[in-house]
Amino acid sequence: MTNHKKICAEIFKITKGTQTEVLIDSKESALTRFADNVISQNVSNTDTGISIRLVKNGKMSKVNFNQTDKVALKKAIQNAFYLLKNQKKNSGTLSLLKPVKNITEKKDLFFKATAEISPEFKALQIKKLAKKCKKSGQTCCGTLENGYNKTTIANNLGLSLSHKESYIKYSITVKDKDGFGWAEQSSNDIKFMNFDKANEIACKKAKLAKNPIAIKPGKYTVILEPAAVPEFLMFMNFYGFGGKFYLEGQSFISGKIGKKLLSDKISIYDNAIDGPSAGMPFDFEGFPRKKLALIEKGVVKNAVFDRKTALEAKVKNTGHGLPIPNTEGPLPLNTVISTGKTSIEEMIKQTPKGILITQFHYTNMLKPLSLEITGMTRNGTYLIENGKIKKAVKNLRFTESIVKALNNIVCVGDKQVTTSFWFFKTSAPALKIKDFNFSSSTEF
Amino acid sequence: MFNFCEKAVEIANKYKVDFGDIRIIKERRQDLSVKNGEIGEFDNSSTLGFGIRILLNGAWGFASSDIINTKEIERATLLAIKIAKASSLLKEKKVTLAKESVYKDIWQTPFIIDPFDVSVEDKFDLLFKIDSVLRKKPEIKSSISSMSFTREHQYHMTTEGSLIEQILLHSGAGYTATAVLNNEVQIRSYPSTHGGHALSMGYELINSLELLENAERTRDEAIALLKAPQCPQGELDLIIGGNQLALQIHESVGHATELDRVLGYEESYAGSSFATTEKLGKFKYGSDIVNLVADATVPGGLATAGYDDDAVKAQRWDIVKNGILNGYMTNREFAHNIKENRSNGSNRADGYNNIPITRICNLSLMPGKYELDDLIKGVKNGVLMENNKSWSIDQKRLNFQFGCEIGWVIKNGKIKSMIKNPVYQGITPKFWNSCDGICNEKHWKLWGVSNCGKGQPSQRALMSHGNSPSRFRKVKIGIKS
Repeated sequence: MTNHKKICAEIFKITKGTQTEVLIDSKESALTRFADNVISQNVSNTDTGISIRLVKNGKMSKVNFNQTDKVALKKAIQNAFYLLKNQKKNSGTLSLLKPVKNITEKKDLFFKATAEISPEFKALQIKKLAKKCKKSGQTCCGTLENGYNKTTIANNLGLSLSHKESYIKYSITVKDKDGFGWAEQSSNDIKFMNFDKANEIACKKAKLAKNPIAIKPGKYTVILEPAAVPEFLMFMNFYGFGGKFYLEGQSFISGKIGKKLLSDKISIYDNAIDGPSAGMPFDFEGFPRKKLALIEKGVVKNAVFDRKTALEAKVKNTGHGLPIPNTEGPLPLNTVISTGKTSIEEMIKQTPKGILITQFHYTNMLKPLSLEITGMTRNGTYLIENGKIKKAVKNLRFTESIVKALNNIVCVGDKQVTTSFWFFKTSAPALKIKDFNFSSSTEF
Repeated sequence: MFNFCEKAVEIANKYKVDFGDIRIIKERRQDLSVKNGEIGEFDNSSTLGFGIRILLNGAWGFASSDIINTKEIERATLLAIKIAKASSLLKEKKVTLAKESVYKDIWQTPFIIDPFDVSVEDKFDLLFKIDSVLRKKPEIKSSISSMSFTREHQYHMTTEGSLIEQILLHSGAGYTATAVLNNEVQIRSYPSTHGGHALSMGYELINSLELLENAERTRDEAIALLKAPQCPQGELDLIIGGNQLALQIHESVGHATELDRVLGYEESYAGSSFATTEKLGKFKYGSDIVNLVADATVPGGLATAGYDDDAVKAQRWDIVKNGILNGYMTNREFAHNIKENRSNGSNRADGYNNIPITRICNLSLMPGKYELDDLIKGVKNGVLMENNKSWSIDQKRLNFQFGCEIGWVIKNGKIKSMIKNPVYQGITPKFWNSCDGICNEKHWKLWGVSNCGKGQPSQRALMSHGNSPSRFRKVKIGIKS
């Protein structure tokens, strides 16, 4: 493991007299990928990325590199100074942040046993699923991955923060002739993984998804399983709650703090400190994160800010800064939709006609202000009639506004599932939504 | 660097592997952007690392590291061997590789001006100038102008004896103006969306793009879109070209003909393909005038190189010929599945720390016979769309939906008025079979895709898609939510 403290000290020794920020990200990761009941790829990576940012008299420079020997450090710093010297003043450049008190890790997210799982263990785990599938005439594909990340943010004004997190993720798709089923388990700690349960769900879903019938696109009541909901949350995080989009008038909440825009059954928080989406307790400027209400009972409560956008908006920094400089502005990375009281089984039972959706595929933004998106259903789409799952249906394309959908909430699920995708960690329950718009269908 | 490579090959040979290779990659990258009058991005990256691939007992192992010394190379090689042994615990049959000649060669992207020799001040100067033109009108609430340059120096050695050194250079630039007014957001980009236009060239590309000259028009079009009528709905004729047609080629032909997807090896993530192998040589993918050619040798192509990451020499081949499915993107592992005894060289990795996977090569729609005016004249009721804004396609690459930045209504052979939020949907073979006109070589241009994501762990690849404006009949246009 790369010694982050030592690297920072070496850098600060050379850059004395110039404000210097160092961001180091070290990771060890391993991923076993399988398809058609065999292992198809099996990889392991060891990587460290270092960035140095210099700030002086309103000027700024930044260099990124991955070699940690003294010669490489010296060369990177020389390059950063050269770039700084030849820069013009940038009106948005802020002085670096002095250490902020009261940053604590409430939740330990690093587990050595999870970080160090062997390739043999993974192969044997996957073999169990492959054996089960072969026996039932099914085939499986997916990934089993593990590893850890360590992130350090430090500057020569005394700020020095580190966060370490291990992970394991088991994601599987089972194919049963023309039916597909999917399941996923992920955790920071292997002891919370239930491989057998995931195997059972995916196999059962695939069997149920066979011989899908075509249905007409149009408006339907839908039950989105928890794995389908993060797609909504990620678009809201990226296009909605960020302070920059908010200030530019590009967000659905621009100028609407305090207004009720969604169903009162919907509450959304960003919470890196605790709860299912917990992560790094400080942002990439070194500012503490805290639990922040974004939507409460359908009412818009807050956008998220970093130091710069908080100054522009004349509000308090909420601790959502990304590495500087960036074009996205601050973003919430650890969002949670609060649970309701209804189980998925109960939702199905109370549905005269509707569609149960396992997952969405390839969603994309159409209109950012209304959060209108499009995408496909995937890996198990089923028709519900008279409170029961009747048949599998061929996949459908939806074209729908997230704002509209979250206004049409019938009920909210009683359990959350956590998903990590890109740099977002989101937790969401199942949602039952009326009048959800499908614009076309596909052939399978 | 080859001395480090030798160590990995020596260990691999000692363990009597079926195949092994090491790629050491030294990458330099510069990303600059200006957003709303301030520096938005200012990244200067230098990275170095290696990746080792081992095929042992017919199963794969891969390990990478960013520490370059003999001890670490030894550790990673032994780890890759250990991983290959673990992989062999779950295999049905042995992986075998298609044969390829042994090469000892150096290949480099041709360029005129090294982008890393152009000062950062000059680059920012141009970006700030563009930005000030874009923000001159109050309706523009957000502007981003950017440049990006990458030089990848590869050292590749295989246990078969190939020793290949390549220096690949990519340059790109572009900008976007976002206009906001009364609950309406509209964007216009130049020369294309998603980070601008990129090619395998030097800074001469940036000098040729006429970036500043087009800023005023781009800004004014974003503002005009705010008040433009919505896209009409119905089954109408469609004309697309530029980066929109490039993305159409990419999503509905490129990914659909990656052989690993076709065989189900990408099923769990990006999906599979409707273009299954029994359709090869028979399936009517498009109309007779549709010819799509993969070409790793085309000048300027982002996937243009001397060799792929399987150490296979660059080639040119037909994917769709006179409308019929004629080929796939292959690597050495999967080529035999379509009874080919040689890979066509489409195996590429994102950097040193990823295993090579089957990738779309440069894939282009060959020019037809039309002048653009004649193509438009042939439309009674239709829409011309430009610059991709959103994209989505199902996991078998059949049902797609694309949104563009701007559209123009065509009535009785003439362009009439600007429209906003143009969107079209279709089913891949039906769409390509509805193509009845393609413009000639005067209108043909290579467009870059710099953000193609695939694989687990996720990898990014670059490729180009040449095309000239083309006409498609009776397409579902204007989708309502």
